[in-house]
Amino acid sequence: MQRRHQRKAGFWFLLASLSFLSLLLIGVSPVRASEGPALTGGVIDGQGQPVSGAEVALYLDGDPSPALQQETDHLGHFVFDLSNPPSESAQIVITRSQFEPNTLIVGAADLAVLQAGGAVRLADVELAREITAGFWIAILVFAGMLVLIITELLHTTAAALLAAASVLTISLVGQVFDEGLFIIGFEQAIEYVDFEVIFLVLGMMIIVGTIERTGIFQWAAYQAYRISRGRLWLLAVILMVLTSVASALLDNVTTMLLMAPITLQIALTLGVNPLALLIPEMLASNVGGISTLIGTPNNILIGSYAGLGFNDFLTNLTPGVLMVQVALTLYVVWVFRGPYRGSGGADSESLLALLKEHARITEPEVLRKAGIVFLATLLLFIFGERFHLVPAVTAMIGGAATLVVVRADVEEILHVVDWTTLLFFIALFMVIGALQEVGLISLIGSGIHSLVGENLTAATLITVWGTAMLCLLIPTVPLTAALLPVVGFLSRSIPGATTNVLYYSLSMGSALGANNSLIGATNNMVTAGISQRAGFPITYRAFIRVGFPAAVITLLVGTLWILIRF
Amino acid sequence: MTRILCATRGGEASYRMQDAVIALSQERQAELLFLYVVNIEFLGKTERAVRLDVVEEEMAKLGHFLLEMARERALQQGVTAGGILRHGRLSEELKAAAVELEVDLIVLGKPAAEGGLYSLEDLEALTAEVQTETGIPVQIL
Repeated sequence: MQRRHQRKAGFWFLLASLSFLSLLLIGVSPVRASEGPALTGGVIDGQGQPVSGAEVALYLDGDPSPALQQETDHLGHFVFDLSNPPSESAQIVITRSQFEPNTLIVGAADLAVLQAGGAVRLADVELAREITAGFWIAILVFAGMLVLIITELLHTTAAALLAAASVLTISLVGQVFDEGLFIIGFEQAIEYVDFEVIFLVLGMMIIVGTIERTGIFQWAAYQAYRISRGRLWLLAVILMVLTSVASALLDNVTTMLLMAPITLQIALTLGVNPLALLIPEMLASNVGGISTLIGTPNNILIGSYAGLGFNDFLTNLTPGVLMVQVALTLYVVWVFRGPYRGSGGADSESLLALLKEHARITEPEVLRKAGIVFLATLLLFIFGERFHLVPAVTAMIGGAATLVVVRADVEEILHVVDWTTLLFFIALFMVIGALQEVGLISLIGSGIHSLVGENLTAATLITVWGTAMLCLLIPTVPLTAALLPVVGFLSRSIPGATTNVLYYSLSMGSALGANNSLIGATNNMVTAGISQRAGFPITYRAFIRVGFPAAVITLLVGTLWILIRF
Repeated sequence: MTRILCATRGGEASYRMQDAVIALSQERQAELLFLYVVNIEFLGKTERAVRLDVVEEEMAKLGHFLLEMARERALQQGVTAGGILRHGRLSEELKAAAVELEVDLIVLGKPAAEGGLYSLEDLEALTAEVQTETGIPVQIL
């Protein structure tokens, strides 16, 4: 009885927490405190981007002590309300770590306006970047984090957290000995955490985690087996479509984790090599995820950073993904024409019975309720933009509705939410923030800009193909997170790029590049792990033999779509 | 009657080993038990949301399926075999199952040429460990 009350209390506590935390997504804009003489201005970096957190000191009438001091806000703005306007002179000194200090002397005309009780908007002050010891340390820490993740010496979350902790420790302790060691402060690091991403992922985890235990994936895969009636090529095509759609609407890792075991059983029942079905599914999963905002974590990162909604991805990427999927399907049917040539037939009645048993819907009532909530959430993703609902809030509504409608055990829901993943994103944002603070991202952006000039087509090609090739070395999530500010910089500085074409190119490149190699995507790795445990290892070589040409073909078609669309 | 415990998975390498252990059990008139160990530790390093309970359940279903395949294979060769599914690390579960079931011989398959979970050295080390700790002989086929 007491336990029941505890669960009930916990349920409402979690629900209330979700609602309260969603309020954090609402931003508040600063306003001037009063009317009267005021001095306002902005601080920008060499690329014209606002510099937040800069110390702005106002010196009046030759006084060596500053009359007023302030930090620039997130738009790089500062506002000084002057109760006593300067009688002779006014000077502004701007300092910030990672930048050289700059001084601005207020001109006579502006002084006169202030003395008359008016407000003056100064021209933006540019701060020049300074390469400090912190610059190199931030790069080393980021590279170290990637090495730890790639070599699997540490869990990805542990690696990201270690990197974030290292950057902060060096910054806070190191600055005592040498100011150049300062990289990023704790509060600054927190500001880099994109809570829209965190809450979108959190909400979707609750929805997907509830649906995935119902057996719907396994049931659908078994229906593919039934419909294909032993025609292996048709079975592969249906499974690819199924995987692709599920990856687009749910999550590609979840999709493959649930599809792989049942696919292995179907293949073994039919007497076909499971890799002839599993590898096409892996490829289709990576492609399908591109088509929606919620299909891949990369898209979630991109959508939140660039302010792209669910419909933006639907209209700008889904048709391209369909084209890519058709090309991929033709390629797969051709590559596996040998295994598909034969007609698969189930010889063993006992295996068939077992397969049927494993492919049934285990929780029909939960599926019905969670399915309705999920469909409603999808509709809200599509139509919610009209009511100013950002995707994170829609996902929160969906998550909360799942809790209410399904009435799941709150402890189970807490298991559904993968806190390590959320922690990984938080730590990753901090590390990427450190790279932005030291100016590395601006440097890379400027380098690419000078390479492509004003040529948007060249920038598009570099973004799609460069990202895809980097996927051979770097896992896609940290790669996308690191490249986002670079793409953001290019989008602002290259004429015509305001259509967000480069963000879509990043989405296309990071997802299709995942087919380049086995380590290109998490879903590739987990599928290989499952297959290996069934005695059918997917080796790096075996995957790349099929995956690399698939990546090239799909990248060609994907690039073609991007160029046609934009 | 002697009892043989054979740890198995699926795939070509396992089929060859299963045939060999089926022949061995016929020759020794021994009871044959296949063992599949569900281990999802490989998911521990992913940065993505994974419901381990659901995946473990699916892997257990896959394990039951692979055990059923092994049992059918044995039946086709005139041997009635049993199947046991356990959760955990292979070395620990193998030792525990062998002791609990009071088996007389443990059989392990040679690692696959490429992409196997264990190298031959790993397997030999496991063999030595199991033999030392349980006193039950281990044969690699």
